[in-house]
Amino acid sequence: MGVLFLDIVTTAAILFTVASGLMIILGVMKLINFAHGAFLAIGGYAAFVTTQLGWNPWMAIPFAAVVGFVLGLVIERVIVRPLYARPLDAILATWGLGIVIGQVITIVFGREVQFVQSPLSGAIEFLGQSYSTYRLALVAIGAILALALIALLYFTRFGLNARAVIMNEDLARGLGIDSTRVRLTTFGLGAALASMAGALITPLISVDPNLGLPWLINSFMLVLVSGVSIPGLIVASLILGGAQVLVSSYVSAILGGLTIVVLAAVILRIRPQGLFSG
Amino acid sequence: MSRKHLFGAAGVLAAALAFGSGGIASAADTIKIGIPVGLSGANSVVAPSVVQSAELAAAEINEAGGVLGRQIELVVADDGSGAQGAQKAFDSLVFQKKVDVLISMETSAARNAGLPIVNRGRVPFIYTSFYEGRSCSPWLYVNAWVPDQQVAPIVDYFMGELGAKSFFLIGSDYAFGRGMLEFTADYIDEKGGTVLGDEYLPMDGTDWTPIISKLKASGADALITSTAGGAPNVTLTKQLRAAGVDIPYGNLAVDEGTARNMGADAAGIYISASYITDIPSQENQDFLKNMKAHFGDDLKTPNDLSVPQYEGVYLYKLAVEKAGTTDAQAVIDALDDVSFMGPRGKIQMNKQRHAPLTMYLAQVQADGGIKLISSFVDVDPGEQCPHL
Amino acid sequence: MPRRRSDIRTVLKFGIVALAVLAVAPFFLDIYVVNILIRALLLAALALTVDLLWGYTGILTFGQSAFFGIGAYACALVFTHWGFGAQWALLALFLGIVAACAVAALAGWLAFYHGASPLYGSIVTLALPIIVTQVIFAGGRTTGSSSGLSGFPTYYWSSETWFWIAGVFLVVITGLAWLFVRSDMGRVLVAIRENETRCAYLGIPVSRIKILLLVIAGTIGAIAGFGYAAFTNVVAPELGGFLLGTELLIWVALGGRGTLIGPVIGAILIDVTSSYLSGSLPFYWKLLIGVLFVAVIVALPQGLLPEVTRLWRRLIGRRTRMADAPTLEPITAQEVGRGTGQPLVVRGVHRHFGSLQVLQGIDFEANRGELLSLVGPNGAGKTTLIRCLADGYERSGGTITIFGRNLGKWGPDRCVALGIGRKFQAANIFATLSVAECLRVARYRLDPPSIWASGTTLRLPEAALRIVEETGLAQSLNTEARHLAHGQKQALELAMVLALEPSIVLLDEPTAGLTRVERERIGAILTSLTERERLSILLVEHDLDFVREISSRVIVLHQGQIVLDGSVEEVVGSELVRNIYAGASLDAGSGPT
Repeated sequence: MGVLFLDIVTTAAILFTVASGLMIILGVMKLINFAHGAFLAIGGYAAFVTTQLGWNPWMAIPFAAVVGFVLGLVIERVIVRPLYARPLDAILATWGLGIVIGQVITIVFGREVQFVQSPLSGAIEFLGQSYSTYRLALVAIGAILALALIALLYFTRFGLNARAVIMNEDLARGLGIDSTRVRLTTFGLGAALASMAGALITPLISVDPNLGLPWLINSFMLVLVSGVSIPGLIVASLILGGAQVLVSSYVSAILGGLTIVVLAAVILRIRPQGLFSG
Repeated sequence: MSRKHLFGAAGVLAAALAFGSGGIASAADTIKIGIPVGLSGANSVVAPSVVQSAELAAAEINEAGGVLGRQIELVVADDGSGAQGAQKAFDSLVFQKKVDVLISMETSAARNAGLPIVNRGRVPFIYTSFYEGRSCSPWLYVNAWVPDQQVAPIVDYFMGELGAKSFFLIGSDYAFGRGMLEFTADYIDEKGGTVLGDEYLPMDGTDWTPIISKLKASGADALITSTAGGAPNVTLTKQLRAAGVDIPYGNLAVDEGTARNMGADAAGIYISASYITDIPSQENQDFLKNMKAHFGDDLKTPNDLSVPQYEGVYLYKLAVEKAGTTDAQAVIDALDDVSFMGPRGKIQMNKQRHAPLTMYLAQVQADGGIKLISSFVDVDPGEQCPHL
Repeated sequence: MPRRRSDIRTVLKFGIVALAVLAVAPFFLDIYVVNILIRALLLAALALTVDLLWGYTGILTFGQSAFFGIGAYACALVFTHWGFGAQWALLALFLGIVAACAVAALAGWLAFYHGASPLYGSIVTLALPIIVTQVIFAGGRTTGSSSGLSGFPTYYWSSETWFWIAGVFLVVITGLAWLFVRSDMGRVLVAIRENETRCAYLGIPVSRIKILLLVIAGTIGAIAGFGYAAFTNVVAPELGGFLLGTELLIWVALGGRGTLIGPVIGAILIDVTSSYLSGSLPFYWKLLIGVLFVAVIVALPQGLLPEVTRLWRRLIGRRTRMADAPTLEPITAQEVGRGTGQPLVVRGVHRHFGSLQVLQGIDFEANRGELLSLVGPNGAGKTTLIRCLADGYERSGGTITIFGRNLGKWGPDRCVALGIGRKFQAANIFATLSVAECLRVARYRLDPPSIWASGTTLRLPEAALRIVEETGLAQSLNTEARHLAHGQKQALELAMVLALEPSIVLLDEPTAGLTRVERERIGAILTSLTERERLSILLVEHDLDFVREISSRVIVLHQGQIVLDGSVEEVVGSELVRNIYAGASLDAGSGPT
């Protein structure tokens, strides 16, 4: 039982971390960023470069965040901005962008799996179980991330502006909030979060140009189910991640892989606005 | 430019390219070897080493005067590592480039997609990748291993030397993964061991956590895995190590190069292969030396998927010489009889279109090196294509 | 209904040319290109279904590959495991189509319901190929898992034969689709894309149409997949996969969504070119396609074909030929739903959002020939009440009876069938449809549109016709609705509502933003509708002068309750009403109107 509990909590923490960047962008910009998977890959390769340069493996996290942020700013300006009024087209354009990023990574780094040094390895005794140290660390990191995001939204100038834009963009603009700037920063932030998440999961996965693809759909489903709120995303990660672990453990790991997608489609049919909204 | 080309190439760009490649390939007296291979997609990691193997073989043969006095020409086509790409690649090689033979390492999906085209075009096809077995066609020969050859060394070693009684099996949910583990389970049963569980994850799955928890709960003595190459192999190994799994671990799907690169996580893994670079034979030493000399710094480390390609080209050469012609049926008949001493030892595809092979059991060391534990000479491929 | 002959002639003309090209093409092409083209032609048919769904109807689908995979696997599974022969082939095709229809119907039922967001439909279509692929993987030896199935017996006809089969299939499908999208029904699809809400309130069963369309698209996909498997002798999971689904979108977007021909050309060109280029430049080719795709979505959302045709027109100096506008034909309104008794009886209707009570205890009735105005300050609940009358899902409780029939819990399309017509506050029309097309879409229920042709006459009830003629719309029947002046848009929407031949008309601020002349004209029309046609009209209006001029009765709403229900004089003279408005003006702008 203890292991099951740890599996669920750590899986939820990973899902939360991976999906947070997508959620920030959807929440503020009402835009679904299908290049999310590509940003995860960028993070993975930032971690790879960190290893190549011989830096401390923990450095991969801030490095990935910076790379993601800068790229996010550029992409928002060039590609995303013309698409605000066309949300379905934005999905397609960002998907195309994901293809482009994936191919550029392939051309620069090659198609093969790269190896990244892990900041933590091995297992420790926890709750009477020998359990992966890094997965446990990810729970702490996920928690810090959630708190940091809440703090950012509720205790900073940017957060105030962002919340104003979320509630009523026209009104916010009327109040002198530069909503274009808020959107720009948000996209950069979302890209930075995704990229950081990509670096964070590299010790668990293999680094290759398509590493983000399997995560994209699950993140997308989680964010929609969450009703686009941070507590909602935490709960959605726990419920859907938990369901995935349970199905994988007691039924079959193959069905487990479909759990999030199917469950999300059903939940959204019953509650289109997500679990924790309105 | 012929009228056909003008119509065929739907865009100007495409027309130019078709003309370009068609022009080079039009020298009439060469023997054309088609190599459909996954330059993009899942196999793109290993494809360059496969192409290099073929290039070395062709260069050596051409230098020594060619085959029946004719030079060999290689025609490489990308199959995208999948069925759709393979159809295009095979079509192009068989019907457009009109190659004399196909020799290649490919995914099972690509091979399956290509076979109907091979049957229609009536071209000999030497398949040089290990695979799940039992692929049969009048035009097909295979010179790499099948489960019947690869599984026994690991299981025997685990049960004999390491005293393992119970096993846990983990794989990717695809033909090779399931095929290998089903065979493994049967083999363990036959030898009196028990299989405590077998678990699969979809090919693009990344989270092995619940499966690893089950493995730990099962208390198995040993673990045998067969995942898709590349990412799933790496994610599983990393997560196993992170979870502190330290029972004997045999990996049926990891190649030597990946194992070396994986660093400390791969240490202790047992692998079973028909080729490892440490094979001490003269043929292997010469082969490695010539590869180095030919490709210099661009050399991709030869491996279990690329070396059979080298031998495949030679086997074809010998078959053509025996038949005295490149006529497809004559070559197919001759391929059964010829044998070649290559880096992997003596290769002859005379067991229902498959080859008895010397198999090597090795263990990955902490420093990334590979320690050869034992070898098994001329392991039989078993019943593969009894109807041919 | 008579057909507009030019469309059929166009299709025949192009169809014959296309077939002639197909007939001779294999003799000029080498066998390699023919083989590639066979597959490209089948994939083009699949791309065409994506265009029908996405380009025309606005359903962004990632899932068409799933149907292709289903058709392909039906063929492979039957031929591998059961048997081969003409009867088996027919059985396999039949099973493939049945399976595809079942999956499409299920997915459609899940994805398209009243109030579903367009995004949700995309989510379902996204899940579809993922599930199909996983099922194939899990199928072990039966489905061949990742390796797929190959080498099953099939018809080893010559490549030319297959080329002709695939070509004729594509030409026929494209021809039918061409007629379909240019028919009156095709215009309804565009109307759904442009404004789904308006469609629902015109009594169009939007969800059912979408589900049916998905089933048709699934069927075409399954047939194409069947052909693909039978020709190539191979099936693999990727045929039903998510990546092929996105590739289809790329082809359609580049070719030109909503043009049918663009996606077909796009699919063939890109697929064939990739056969040549991906061998020599595998990664750069994909990069190039990715860059092109992003550029087209951002800068040329309509794709390349419209650009090419525009350039062509400019070169040869030809103008777009306008179709002839249909002849308007007056008919006598039947007044849908009319029965005996009170047109509208409202009892105990309330509406809350969470704990917020927006309407409570609403009781009133409307009579024939009455123009009933709903007035009240902002946030009084006027628009909410209109919504509850036009959509059975809206109210939280209470009953609404129309000519003795209970409204129940039915969506807006059923409310229209009961005789309710609703005009929205802001002009709510179909921007890219012409005036005539907008009106014809509004006639969906009463004059079911043809799926092959567009009618040469347009039947309109006299009231609607009068508006069309008096506001000058009759002279602009071929003008796209988005090019109309504001007043004309409002008039067009009103005409569309009246084209429903309703017994009860709900009007939400029909005069907002109109000039004085336009307002007077509308006022006159409304008065005559109540006096001559004896309709019941419910009017939400801020302009109290207008209300006073035309109303026969006034209901005053305040804080979600009816505070007064009486004649114009009673309301005008009421102290209470004056107080309410005076009070409300202090906190104007609070809450929903």
